[in-house]
Amino acid sequence: MRDVASERDVDRPGTTERVVTLDVNGRSYTLRLDTRVTLLDALRDRLGLTGTKKGCDQGACGACTVHLDGRRVLACLTLAAQAEGRAITTIEGVAGTEGPHPVQRAFMDHDGFQCGFCTPGQIMSAVALMAEGRAGSDEEIREFMSGNLCRCGAYPNIVAAVREAASGGGYDAHL
Amino acid sequence: MSTVESRPLVGAGVNRVDGPRKVTGTAPYPMDFSVPGQAYGALVQSTVSAGRIIRMDTEEAERSPGVISVLTHENAPQVGTGPTTVLGEAPPAPLRNDRVMHHGQHIAFVVAETPEQAAAAARLVHAEYEAAEPLLDLQDPRAQHLVDPWKMDHSRGDVSAALEAADVIVRGTYFTADNTNNPLGLFATLAAWEEDTLTVHDTSQWPSMVRTTLAMVFGIPESSVRVLVPYVGGGFGAGLRAWPHVILTAMAARTTKRPVKLVLTRPQMFTSVGHRPSGVQWLSVGASRDGGLVALDHRSLSSLSMEDNDYEPFSHGTAFAYQCPNVITRDQQAKLNIAVPTSMRAPAEAQGSFALESALDELAYTLRMDPLELRIRNHTEVDPRNGLPWSGKALLECYEVGARRFGWADRSPEPRSMRDGNWLVGYGMASAMFPYFATPCMAEATVNRDGSAFVRSAATDIGTGTYTVMAQLSAEELGLPLDKVRFDLGDSDMPDSMMAGGSGLTGALGNAVHDACRRLVGLFADLARGDADSPLLGASPEDVEVSGGRVHLAGRPDRGESYADILARHGLAQLTATGSSRPPDPAEIGMSPAGAYGAKFVEVRVDADLGIVRVARVVSAIDGGRILNEKTARSQIIGGTVGGIGMALFEDTVTDPRTGRIANGTFGDYLVAVNADIPELDVIFVGEPDRGTPTGTKGVGEVGLVGIAPAIANAVYHATGKRIRDLPITIDNLL
Amino acid sequence: MRTFEYVRATDTQEVVRMLAEDPSASCLAGGTTQLDLMKDGVLEPPTLIDITRLPLHGIERRGESLHVGALATMEELAADSTVAERLPVVREALLLGASVQLRNMATIGGNLLQRTRCRYFRDPAVLECNKRAPGTGCAAVQGAARMHAVLGVNENCIALHASDLAVALVALDAVVHIQGLSGRRTVPLTEFYVTADESPERENVLEHAELITEVEIPLPPPSARSGYLKVRDRVSYEFALTSAAVVLVVEDGTIRQARVGLGGVGSKPWRAYEAEHVLTGAPATSATFQDASEATMRDAWTVPGTAFKVPLARRTLVRELQTVSGVTA
Repeated sequence: MRDVASERDVDRPGTTERVVTLDVNGRSYTLRLDTRVTLLDALRDRLGLTGTKKGCDQGACGACTVHLDGRRVLACLTLAAQAEGRAITTIEGVAGTEGPHPVQRAFMDHDGFQCGFCTPGQIMSAVALMAEGRAGSDEEIREFMSGNLCRCGAYPNIVAAVREAASGGGYDAHL
Repeated sequence: MSTVESRPLVGAGVNRVDGPRKVTGTAPYPMDFSVPGQAYGALVQSTVSAGRIIRMDTEEAERSPGVISVLTHENAPQVGTGPTTVLGEAPPAPLRNDRVMHHGQHIAFVVAETPEQAAAAARLVHAEYEAAEPLLDLQDPRAQHLVDPWKMDHSRGDVSAALEAADVIVRGTYFTADNTNNPLGLFATLAAWEEDTLTVHDTSQWPSMVRTTLAMVFGIPESSVRVLVPYVGGGFGAGLRAWPHVILTAMAARTTKRPVKLVLTRPQMFTSVGHRPSGVQWLSVGASRDGGLVALDHRSLSSLSMEDNDYEPFSHGTAFAYQCPNVITRDQQAKLNIAVPTSMRAPAEAQGSFALESALDELAYTLRMDPLELRIRNHTEVDPRNGLPWSGKALLECYEVGARRFGWADRSPEPRSMRDGNWLVGYGMASAMFPYFATPCMAEATVNRDGSAFVRSAATDIGTGTYTVMAQLSAEELGLPLDKVRFDLGDSDMPDSMMAGGSGLTGALGNAVHDACRRLVGLFADLARGDADSPLLGASPEDVEVSGGRVHLAGRPDRGESYADILARHGLAQLTATGSSRPPDPAEIGMSPAGAYGAKFVEVRVDADLGIVRVARVVSAIDGGRILNEKTARSQIIGGTVGGIGMALFEDTVTDPRTGRIANGTFGDYLVAVNADIPELDVIFVGEPDRGTPTGTKGVGEVGLVGIAPAIANAVYHATGKRIRDLPITIDNLL
Repeated sequence: MRTFEYVRATDTQEVVRMLAEDPSASCLAGGTTQLDLMKDGVLEPPTLIDITRLPLHGIERRGESLHVGALATMEELAADSTVAERLPVVREALLLGASVQLRNMATIGGNLLQRTRCRYFRDPAVLECNKRAPGTGCAAVQGAARMHAVLGVNENCIALHASDLAVALVALDAVVHIQGLSGRRTVPLTEFYVTADESPERENVLEHAELITEVEIPLPPPSARSGYLKVRDRVSYEFALTSAAVVLVVEDGTIRQARVGLGGVGSKPWRAYEAEHVLTGAPATSATFQDASEATMRDAWTVPGTAFKVPLARRTLVRELQTVSGVTA
């Protein structure tokens, strides 16, 4: 006997699988998942959206940053099931039809990456940071981009890229 | 040999050609590949540092949902070992026997249908050990020492006599911590067998070495192994070996007859793919009253694992950094029960220069001399080891330009004499170099019937910009616009390349690309010269050059024809030429091949009460020879600087003193610099194209890091009056 | 991670009932501690109740107190206008914690319940951990300890409570609202935690079948000034080595009211009453601040790696008292 106020797994109590519908970049995907599957692994392994990176899987590097209902979060510490019913935006959903997002263009122009592995997470963070209104100064950009590690050390170029993208006011062009 | 003049395409700060893929998330890194039917691997690692496994219980794991196989030393096939390379002998094969040599050693490999199942089952493998007392302390007298393992110890003159006679002596003991490379990309391997051929996606800085290793390990021809790594995800040296987990993944794929994919966890990155070894250094510097160096005695002891080699001659650079008649350098390595150390960005030089440049700073204060003046006073234009002039050394220019840019002259000489509120302000500087290194390298260039070109080599682009600078160089050499040239890499089927390491790839590969393109143009010129229908009929090879996609007489673009026309008239689809490069022989060129040089100037702020250290600004003046791309080269220097700040202030891989377990093996606990730690970093390139090779480039991947830690330590001394000889410099040292 | 059943809850009382029925079930909110520890194999709940959709997200000011739903995120609370105007110490503690991404996930209730960052606790391969396996010992005491506690600890456990927010909230006399099977109860945050020297395995007074629903923060007087100073190696994205939360009411150079919390030092968020006694009624001078700081940390229990925290915590407090009061002389 289960209270209607709680929604248990689809098949029966005690099951460790669940049918999950995810809204990713405006498309809806229905997956049958092991309940352990994180949003990160669902995106990468099940949906083939490998732009979102796994740098630590422990919530400590920012490489897996995606937007959930417009807010930046870490996909590695979010269960896929938790993301159900939320609008998920990944790096694959950032560019507009007419080309790269201003942040993406600024990262290229300012060489805001080297190996490029942390870059999708950096860009997802930067896009959110501008929407949060936190690109007012270099100091602010540095602080609020600090959740994204870059081991190649591209930080000064990342700051320059965010500064330029923010000054162009292009952050709401696509999102 | 002639040096190519800088033309507009090369040198310009063009955007990376792989930028669009990197900013859209479509660049495929090793962990991004999947093949149909693949299974997933997970590693089980030892929880003791030394001893034997007396029992492996895999039953529970084998019964766990989705598990296909559990490999242990009891059932793993015995395989061979890999080749000896410039980095030493290959380590023994994994799962060879019951011996445990370090905490975190791979003792089992679980294969399951999903990554979640594999990871969960790996926790169910239980090992019982007969543990032995591990050797963990660098200075444990019981540890076996390798003496002069790299045959680089140097001595000249009479150091003890010179020290005795010196006006001033500075002696110091310096400790540098274990650092972990920790590229952001978790190392991943995807291995798939088709009959007896093996295709592997692997996080590597050296695909051809991984290919050779796997061929030897599994006893198959090299032609049956293909290693692919179009994008690496960072390496910093960690990708310079074919690690045991790579062999295990291929082994598991073979035994299960399934493609197997393994992605290391971040904690496993601390024990599986190398680290910069800790070390202690003893340095004595003798000088005359006027600041002339008369003696340098530099000795080191660094940590080494039981089962592998590591190139870390800490003191080597001291042999030729400065003019000094009496020098001894001696390096030893202590074999301990620790995870395998390996090269990490600026191996040996990062640690060695911390000791040398700190000691010189101390000497300058002892002599009441400007630390910059002391360096200039002891500058050498020749390699003191052989008396040959350097092939290029603009270090004096680095000093001059860097000091001016930084405002070094405004420094007040006394320690603890500059203050801004609670902040004690300090200036520090250090010289930097990263020695020349290269191995033979090959490249292949093709021009197609439409006049576009494809140039390739089995190199990797670890983020340094290889794709971009080699495309620039190829375009220049072939007289084509950049968008008509594709440079490809990251495939062991391509012509053999040197590793992306030792700051050597850009030079070695650049020279190979140069050679390939020259030969290719020669093939076109030969066709045209002997062709009655060609405007170049009878032209001598020296008179031919290329521009705008055309082969023409030098200085006469109108007298020639396009690549496309030549190919069409001869009924050819394409022409291809292979080129190669070798390190220059000093005797042949009459010069000592020079690495990159730099002068680093740092301002730090130290909170007078709280001991917090913040780097306020850094000026790096760099002699990188000919700069192929100002933008990506600058990125290398700022990246190295960030790494140097990390080494100076944050990075410390802590080994539990009792058990040998890494005590801070996560990104939450092992601190690397974050964005907010890094101020504006000023980079200036000075100097000329190097005279030692045709392209005149020097690698700049490592010189950016060298000298940052001592410059920071020297600035901390200037700010506080406290000489810290132990890295990293943390609040605890400064209270 | 072990397999588990995922249950998405929408009713608070039902969650409490499910917890009561299943002694091994756990709740999942922001996930930043829970999932992390499950991946590490430290926690292996067979049932995970996702409580993020419970109606506990609101932040509401009622008179002179702020009522914060347990599921409000750190970023949401930091953005609240009352927090900005009346609780700078809370805003600063929030924004100096973790990263924006984590603050968008982590909830206020979860923040208070976060587990220690001790790497010996977080690695099940370490067999000696009284917190994880009572009676096995403490590997950290003999190991590499730096990010560990010095107050409320002994040789049995030196695990640190790493929350910044909780340090500010203990200083503010915040109250935790708890729902259990038999109804609601409130516990002052200063009485909510249990120190490691009392019991390493039990960290607070919350029962298994109880849920934090709300945190009530009494607003300090409008004339109060407050702030939070966090000392760490990096500029950002790191737990505190030491920290100080300070709330002061100063009138005509005399300290009328003082509230002090210390972070980075305790096995629980530490309220420094002894410093408050020195400060209250004393002139707002650096000498007073020095005396107040000397009154703290007297019961510190240190190992070689943590000994530096005693002087550092005192200096941190002095600095923040100076900053909040504006008195540096």
